[in-house]
Amino acid sequence: MVKKVFEKPLSWIERILFIDFIKGLSVTIRHAFSKTITTHYPYEKLTPPKRFRGFFGHKVINGTEPQPGFNEWTERMKIEVIPGKSRCVVCYLCKKACPVPQLFEIDGKKVESGKKVVGVFNMNLMLCTFCGFCVDACPVDCLFQSDIHETASYTRKDAILDLETLERVGKDWQRRRDNEPDRIWIDDRQRERLWYENDVRLPEVKK
Amino acid sequence: MESVIAGLIIAVIKILVILGVVLGVGAYLTLVERKVAAHIQRRPGPMVVGWHGLLQPLADGLKLMTKEDLFPRYGNRVLYNLALIMALVPATLVFAVIPFGPEFELFGYKIKPILTDVNVGLLLVFGLGSLAVYAIALAGWASNSKYPLIGSMRKAGIIVSYEVAITFAVMGPLILAGTLSTYNIVEAQIEQKLWYVWLQPVAFVVFMFSLLAETGRVPFDIQEAEAELVTGFTVEYGGMKFGLFPLVEWYVEVLSLSAIAVVLFLGGWSPINIPFIGFIDPLFFLGPLSPFVWFILKVTALFLFILWLHWTLPRYRIDQITEIAWKVMLPLALFNLVFTAIIAPVVWR
Repeated sequence: MVKKVFEKPLSWIERILFIDFIKGLSVTIRHAFSKTITTHYPYEKLTPPKRFRGFFGHKVINGTEPQPGFNEWTERMKIEVIPGKSRCVVCYLCKKACPVPQLFEIDGKKVESGKKVVGVFNMNLMLCTFCGFCVDACPVDCLFQSDIHETASYTRKDAILDLETLERVGKDWQRRRDNEPDRIWIDDRQRERLWYENDVRLPEVKK
Repeated sequence: MESVIAGLIIAVIKILVILGVVLGVGAYLTLVERKVAAHIQRRPGPMVVGWHGLLQPLADGLKLMTKEDLFPRYGNRVLYNLALIMALVPATLVFAVIPFGPEFELFGYKIKPILTDVNVGLLLVFGLGSLAVYAIALAGWASNSKYPLIGSMRKAGIIVSYEVAITFAVMGPLILAGTLSTYNIVEAQIEQKLWYVWLQPVAFVVFMFSLLAETGRVPFDIQEAEAELVTGFTVEYGGMKFGLFPLVEWYVEVLSLSAIAVVLFLGGWSPINIPFIGFIDPLFFLGPLSPFVWFILKVTALFLFILWLHWTLPRYRIDQITEIAWKVMLPLALFNLVFTAIIAPVVWR
């Protein structure tokens, strides 16, 4: 059923004394003297939520891998487990899931023990749409999207993330935010700052 | 001979002061408008250039000056540039007949803080006000483009409608004061111990409506109409030429018409008036400066009120605007005029 927000004809008193003008003016003056809700961007930055789709990173091996999936995958792909290095098992599932697969450049590398580790992992962000399919596809919770969103660069080459950068982003993320509960806003203060109207209850329109 | 030279020097000083103040203040009112608009929308407005964006007008001016001056192909260059002059000159000339305060004596010379106290001051104001329509019509025509032409035609329609209403609206105070000189109208209000807004509320409302319409302020900003016409007749202007039109239309004209409203209805430089009691001056400690401060305060208040309206109301359609002018405002003003003309001689003197 459609609730009709009606259009009430103005009475003569209201027309002569500009009552509806005054109502509107009182609304704007109240807003004019209340606090501003903006963020002064380059000087002041909001922390994006944990689910934010920003720059990519590789989480490193530190004992918090999803088990038993991680052990199964390392066994199957014959991956050497080196703590402090990328969790990547070179399964190419991210590349398969990607709508623009050529942005991935992945290759394994043999080590002395006969097993292998990830050797090349380049992501060309000039082609990326930040859709996050690769992150969903990753079986070992390695590839992820961080809260870094200032992606501008001076050259096209700077837009390519190599393995080193990805690991750096991942280590940084694991230090800062890995233990945080998964929620849309980092805390209630930041949520209310932008979405304080969530708590406002609109009055019911009477017929 | 000496008095002639002294008079000339005084006139030149007055001209320089008025021009400097009006154009300087006009430039800074852009910042005021942006700040007011921002705070109404819960933003802080310009904050980066200077303390709370205080140097923003200078940065804007610098930017506008250094921009390329484009000219539309097949436009008329003479009319295109003439429109600028026609916009700026009448708008600033209005300040020649606005009294800023009472007569005072300096170094033995009596100085009236008004450039020329002509005895048909108000007539001059509305004559110059009507000239503004030429600037806009020329700007629209000379640009040889669709949007400016539509914008200028709309503006011309509005001005033609509201010129009539505003002229009839000011006739009420004229009858009460018995003079056309702006200086004497204020003096009459001080003598009679009454602001004319208390006697002529209808005329005041009609005047305010016409002020909004003539200066292209919301809810009558149909010639700008950002959403439909981009910015109306200024579309084909670039650089400082583009900056000049809003400066003139939104700031200098609003200032001059607010000053006229203050002179006609709010008692010019007189302090707060309460009917049947007289004047109450909370600023008495300023001594001889208090009238000037009162005048500036009143104009500022009126200007801020117009800004407040601008950022509150939506826009009317062009047919609604002209309908209001001819069907509501003009009969109201006429009725007010006839009523005043019948009642005033009986009750007033």
